[in-house]
Amino acid sequence: MSADQQTAKIKLHPGWLEQIKRISHKGFCPLNRAKAVPYLLILPFAILSLLFIYGIGNGFLQSFGIIPSLDLNTPTLKYYIEIFSRPELLSSIWISLYITLVSSVTAAVLGVLICAALVLTGHDRGRMMGVVKIPIAIPHTVVALFVICIFAQSGLLARVLYSLGLISSQSSFPSLLYTGNGAGIILAYLWKEVPFIAFFVISVMANISSTLGEAAENLGAGKWRTFIEVTLPLCMPAIKNAFLIVFAYTLGAYELPYLLGATAPRALPVQAFIEYTHPDLQHRPYAMALNGIMFFISFIIVLLYYRLVQRDKSMMNGMNAND
Amino acid sequence: MTKTGYTFLKIVIKLFAFSILFPVAIVAIWSFAGRWSWPQLLPETFSLRGMAELFSSYSGAMQTLGSSVLLSIMVAILAVVIGAMTARALVFYNFTGKQAVEFSAVLPIIIPGTVFAMGIHVPLIRLGLADNIYGVILVHLICTLPYTIKIMTDITKAFGSKLEEQAAILGASPWQIAADITLPSLLPGLVSSGCMAYIISFSQYFLTLLIGGGHVKTFTLLMVPYLQSGDRTVASAYSFVFIIATLLVFIVFDAAGRKFSHDGHGYLFT
Repeated sequence: MSADQQTAKIKLHPGWLEQIKRISHKGFCPLNRAKAVPYLLILPFAILSLLFIYGIGNGFLQSFGIIPSLDLNTPTLKYYIEIFSRPELLSSIWISLYITLVSSVTAAVLGVLICAALVLTGHDRGRMMGVVKIPIAIPHTVVALFVICIFAQSGLLARVLYSLGLISSQSSFPSLLYTGNGAGIILAYLWKEVPFIAFFVISVMANISSTLGEAAENLGAGKWRTFIEVTLPLCMPAIKNAFLIVFAYTLGAYELPYLLGATAPRALPVQAFIEYTHPDLQHRPYAMALNGIMFFISFIIVLLYYRLVQRDKSMMNGMNAND
Repeated sequence: MTKTGYTFLKIVIKLFAFSILFPVAIVAIWSFAGRWSWPQLLPETFSLRGMAELFSSYSGAMQTLGSSVLLSIMVAILAVVIGAMTARALVFYNFTGKQAVEFSAVLPIIIPGTVFAMGIHVPLIRLGLADNIYGVILVHLICTLPYTIKIMTDITKAFGSKLEEQAAILGASPWQIAADITLPSLLPGLVSSGCMAYIISFSQYFLTLLIGGGHVKTFTLLMVPYLQSGDRTVASAYSFVFIIATLLVFIVFDAAGRKFSHDGHGYLFT
C-alpha cells in the first residue's frame, strides 16, 4: 500500500502548522515518548518468560534431589549416577539420540534438496508452497496414524509388496513400528520435518538466488555451480538454524515415541514421564534427572544457536541479502 | 541448467508432493472403510461407522472439538497480542534487557517440551493453575509465543515506523494512528501468527495431558486412545475431522485477513 492511501484517511489537524513548528524544535520522535513504553510492551512476555524459566529451574533443582515438598533438601548427584548405571535408562539416552540425529540430519538434507528444487524450477510460490505448508498444520498424533496405515506389517506398503509377489506374508515385511530400530518414528518425523526445513529456508534461498545468484550467472557461472558455490553457502545460517530447532524439538517430543516406539528401550521423554507419574514419589528425581540430561543436550544446542545468531547478525550487517 | 537436471528436480518435486498428499488421502479413505482386510489394496466395504462414532452424542467428540477450537482461538488471540507488543518493543526501542528478551523468545523452541512441562507442573499446582483450563492456556501460550514474536518482529521491521511518524507529524492522535495505520499494516502478520499459534495449541498433546490432568479434554487427547486401540476406521475418522477442522479455521482466518489487509496476501498462509 502506498503512503498516500494511508495518510489520506487522516484529517489534517487544525493546528498542523503550529504542531510541526513545535515538534521540529524538540527533535520529536513519536515513538520514543516515554522511557517506560518498551517495558510496558514486554511486560506480559516477561511474566510468562519468568514462569518458564522458573519451571525449568525448578525441574533442574529436582534432578539434584532438591524437592522440599518431599523433604529432600540435600543436593546430590545420585540420580544422575544411577541413570548411568541402569542399562535400561542408558539405552533410553542412546535411542533418543539416535532417532533425533538420524531424523534431523536426513530432514535437513532432504529439506534443502526440496527447497533447492522448488527455487531452481520456480515453484517457490503458489500451489506447491501450499503443499509444503500442509505438514506444518497436521499434528504428530495424526502423523503417527499415517505411519501405522502405511508402514505397519498389515499396512498398505506391505499389501502392495504382497500383491507384487515380493513378500509371501505379513510377517515377512520388516517390522518398522514398536521396535528398537525406531524406523516408524523416524519416518513420521521426516514427514513433518522435511517440509518444515524447506519452508524455513525457502524465502532466504529464493531471495539470494534471485539477487546474488543471478549476478553470478551474469558473470558466466552455470546455474548448478552458482547454486553450489554462491546460494547454498549463503543459506547455511538459515539451514543450521532450522536444523537446531528440529533437533531440539525431536529430542524432547513425547507423542511419536509414545505412539510408535518400543516398550524397551523407551525414548527419553517417554521414560521420563513414566518415572514422573510413578506412584512412588521417590521416583520423581529420576524423571528430573532424565529431563536434566535432555536439558543438558539442548543447552549445548542453545549455546550453538546463540553464537550462530550473533554471527548471522554481523554477517547480515555486511551483506543485507536477508532483508 | 541442463535439461536432465531440470527434469530431475521436477521429479523430486513430484515425489515430494506425492509423499505429502498420499498419507492424507489414505486416512481419508480409511475413515470411511468398513471391511479392509489383508491383503486387499482397496476397502472391501465402506461404512459410516467411524463418522457415526464421531458425531454420536455419547462419544462427546463434537462437543470436545468445539471447546478445543475455542481454547486454541483464545490462545491464538493472546499469543498474537503479546507477540505484537513484544515485537514492537524489540524493533522500535532500545532498552535494558533487550538481549535477554530476544534470547528468552527462542528458549521455548530450544528447550525440550517434556522438560518444560514436568518442570512447570509443580509450580502451577501451587498457583492453582494445574488441572484447569487457565493453566492449559498459559502453557500453550508459552509454547506459541516464540513463533508469534518471530513473525511479528519480521513484519514490524519490514513495515517500519515511517508512516506512523508521518501521521503523528500531520497531527493524528495515537488512537487514529493505531487504528488507521499500525493495525492495517500489521494485519497480514497478525493473521499469520494467529494461524501458527492456533495450530501449535490445537496440536498439543503432552502439555495438555500433564497440565490439564485429565480435567481439560481436547480433541487431540480424545483421539489418542483410538490410535492405540488399533481401530483404524475410528482413528482415521478423528484424524480426518481434525484436518478438516484445521483447514476450515484457516479459511476463515485467511478470509478475514484478506478482507482487511491492503495487499491481499499474508506472511505464512497466503
